[in-house]
Amino acid sequence: MKSSVFWALVRKDLYVLRGFMLVGTVVGLAALFSMRFGRAGFAIGGILFLTANVASGIFIAMYSLLTERKDHSRLFALSLPISGFKHDLAKLVSGYLSFGIPWTVLTVAGLASFLTPEAAPERGMIIYGLVLQMFVMALFSFVLLWLSIVSSETWAGLMILIANIGFSLFMVTFNQPEIVRPLRTPEINWTPFTVGMFGGELVVIALSVGLAILALSRRRDHI
Amino acid sequence: MTHDPSQAFSLRGVSKAFRYFRLEDLNLELPLGQIMGLVGPNGAGKSTTIRLLMGLIAPEAGTIEVLGHHVPDEVAAAKAGIAFVSDDMRLFGGATLAWHMRFVASIYPEWDESYARMLLKHFNLRAEQGMRGMSRGEQIKALLLLALARRPRLLILDEPTSGLDPVARHELLSELMQIVRDDSRSILFSSHNTQDVERISDQIAFIDRGRLVDARDKESFLERWRRISLDVPAGVTLPRFKDTVDLTLGERLATLTTDRYEPALHGLLEASGARVTDVQRMSLEEIFVASVMRSRAEVQS
Repeated sequence: MKSSVFWALVRKDLYVLRGFMLVGTVVGLAALFSMRFGRAGFAIGGILFLTANVASGIFIAMYSLLTERKDHSRLFALSLPISGFKHDLAKLVSGYLSFGIPWTVLTVAGLASFLTPEAAPERGMIIYGLVLQMFVMALFSFVLLWLSIVSSETWAGLMILIANIGFSLFMVTFNQPEIVRPLRTPEINWTPFTVGMFGGELVVIALSVGLAILALSRRRDHI
Repeated sequence: MTHDPSQAFSLRGVSKAFRYFRLEDLNLELPLGQIMGLVGPNGAGKSTTIRLLMGLIAPEAGTIEVLGHHVPDEVAAAKAGIAFVSDDMRLFGGATLAWHMRFVASIYPEWDESYARMLLKHFNLRAEQGMRGMSRGEQIKALLLLALARRPRLLILDEPTSGLDPVARHELLSELMQIVRDDSRSILFSSHNTQDVERISDQIAFIDRGRLVDARDKESFLERWRRISLDVPAGVTLPRFKDTVDLTLGERLATLTTDRYEPALHGLLEASGARVTDVQRMSLEEIFVASVMRSRAEVQS
């Protein structure tokens, strides 16, 4: 082989998904910028930022996995000299990269905004931003896990619905005054809730990756 | 496990069950440099057989070897020498044909760029065209271009002509004939179009309801099958031959179909008092239909 088929497939996905990656990043950055302009700008920008984050993750996972199955281009990819397991593993890696690159840009930009002099009185909110962004990554991992192992569109739709409900519940809980108030300080303090939440998110990500790899390694029929 | 270097592929005792379909005890092999036509009605098991060969699904029993590699254990090594095109395969919608050509070229060291350019012209395709803008026929041609230009040792085509117009079909079959002039390449060609199969195949395998009905070289199929018209006077009883596939008796005329025709058969029939009025060669389609009907009758009895 001239080049690794595994990485060729990963590069292929990054190329095919470049539109989602670009739109997600640009919209997210524009939303962050608009958050600087008053209360209305902050509210609209915040919603747009979260939407760009969450929606691009779901679109990327769906397009990368479901569309390829539906439009039969998966059959072409599987005809290449790679085992079914490695092909599916390449999809996981490309999924994480195509979501992870815009997510990293937006996370770094979002967290950096708490380091500006204007944000000094509430610098502790950087923890809020970090836990929130990590929740978005955990949500993406959950969706990617399910879309990797289920082939039915009904199941996939149900899982996306569950992920959306999970996100709404998280936002309602995380925005409770008693949870946010201790973070609105000039110092960066981890509260027991944020430590627990952050740890839980890391566990969900690790479990999703582990379960996806386990399920894919046991799959005998790849089409 | 020992590998047979003279075989492009072999399936031995292969079975695979699905909820409503079962491929049973399939034994099939293709010598290197030959073209095999895999013929069967819709739902017969052609695509399942091909997907087993490609390692896309795993057998429940039996062994599969492709280009000297055990499948599915060594499927990546086997697929390095295979190009596969299927009627229901599509290229990546968000990319152009030129992108796909660069993508495939980056993987296969055997990629022949000048041949790819020649096929591009021959198939009347535009490299810069996106896949979404291509018709079904153009998509199949693009897939074939990508398959042929990598110069595979084994080309597997699953119903490749079904989405093509008659001109494109003719072009494809001519291209395949051209390829097999290089006798180190082998082709497995599945179709329910017996005319296409008859035109290009050396070996023919009939498959129906998950069972291999018959497999042999094309010439023996065509040489062994005959339809014999007989004049049977009243009171004459035709002898029973075990090689009779079908016997239709009228008031005085009878038609006997056999898959073991020999000129000596005339003597045996005429000795019974019947008169042979005509002996017709059968087309591959007629042979296929007769084989399948016999196989179904055997299964039912």
